[in-house]
Amino acid sequence: MAAHEHRQAHEGEHAHPDTTVMFGRTFPFPIYTVIFGVLAIVTLIEVILSELPDGWLGTALLIVLSVFKAALVVWYYMHLREDNRLYSLILIVPVLLVAVSTLYLASVPLGGY
Amino acid sequence: MTDTTLEHGHDAHTAHDHLTPAQRADNWKTAVWLYLGSEVVIFSVLIAMFILFRLEFPERIHEVHEAAGVFLVAINTFLLLASSWAMVMGLHESRKGNPQGLIRWISLTALLGAVFVGLQYVEYQTLAQEGITLYSDSFGMRFYAPTAFHGAHVIIGVLWALLVVNHARRGGYRQSSLGVEIFGLYWHFVDVVWIVLFTVIYLI
Repeated sequence: MAAHEHRQAHEGEHAHPDTTVMFGRTFPFPIYTVIFGVLAIVTLIEVILSELPDGWLGTALLIVLSVFKAALVVWYYMHLREDNRLYSLILIVPVLLVAVSTLYLASVPLGGY
Repeated sequence: MTDTTLEHGHDAHTAHDHLTPAQRADNWKTAVWLYLGSEVVIFSVLIAMFILFRLEFPERIHEVHEAAGVFLVAINTFLLLASSWAMVMGLHESRKGNPQGLIRWISLTALLGAVFVGLQYVEYQTLAQEGITLYSDSFGMRFYAPTAFHGAHVIIGVLWALLVVNHARRGGYRQSSLGVEIFGLYWHFVDVVWIVLFTVIYLI
C-alpha cells in the first residue's frame, strides 16, 4: 500500500479532487478556490451596501451576508460538512446563549425599570 | 508540531494504545473544537458589548465610520479571506502528500496574516490621529477590545503557521496531516470571527 493510501486508510483523511464540477462543467481548481471566489465577491457586495444610505433592509442584508460567509468558511474550510456534527453544537450553542442574553440586555433601559 | 506532541503522548500513555489513529484524530479535533467553543463565548460577549453600545449611541458609530472609512479594513478583510484559502490549500497539498505545496501555501498564510496585523496597526494609528483611542471615550474600549483581541489571535496564528512550515521542512506531516488540520481549525476560526467583526463594527 502506498504511503498516502496507508495514511488515508488509517486516519480517514479525505484528499479532495483538484477539479470542481459546476453547472455541468469541470473547472481545473479545487472547491476551496471556488469558495474563496464567492467569499471575495460577497465581501465586495457588502462594502458597496455599506456605502448606501442607512436603512433596516441594508442592515438585515449585511447580517445575512455575514452569516452566509461565516457558514461557508465553517462548512467547507473547517470541514464541518464531513466532520462530527457535535462540533456544530459546540459552535452554535454559545452564540445562541450570548444572542439571547444580548437581546434581553438590549430590551432593558439603561437605568433599569 | 502537533504530530510530535501526539507521538510523545502516545509513548507516555500506553493505556491509550488501543485507540486507532482515526480515533486519536477525532479526540484531538474534539479538544480543539471545545477550545474554539470557549473562544466563541469570549468573542460573542465582546461583540455583544459593541452591539449594545451601537444601539444606545448610533450617532457616535456614524461619526467613527465617517472618520475611519472602510477602504483599509476592506483590504484587510480580503487579505484574511485569502489567508484562509491559502491555509486550506496547504492542507489540501499535505493530504495529497506534497510537502513543497504545503510549505508554499502555509508560508503564504503566514505572510498574509502578518500583512493583516501591519495594516491593523496603520488603522489604529489613523484612528488615534482622529482622537479615537482606548481611553478617548466609552467607544474606545468597545472598539479596541474585540479588534485588538482578534489581532492578538492573528499574531499567534502567524507564529503557529511558521512553526508548521518549520516542521514541514524537517519532514513532518508525512505520516499524518492532523497537525496541519488542527492549525487550520484555529486559523479559519480567526477568519470567521473577523467576518463577524467586519460586519458588526465597520459596516453596519
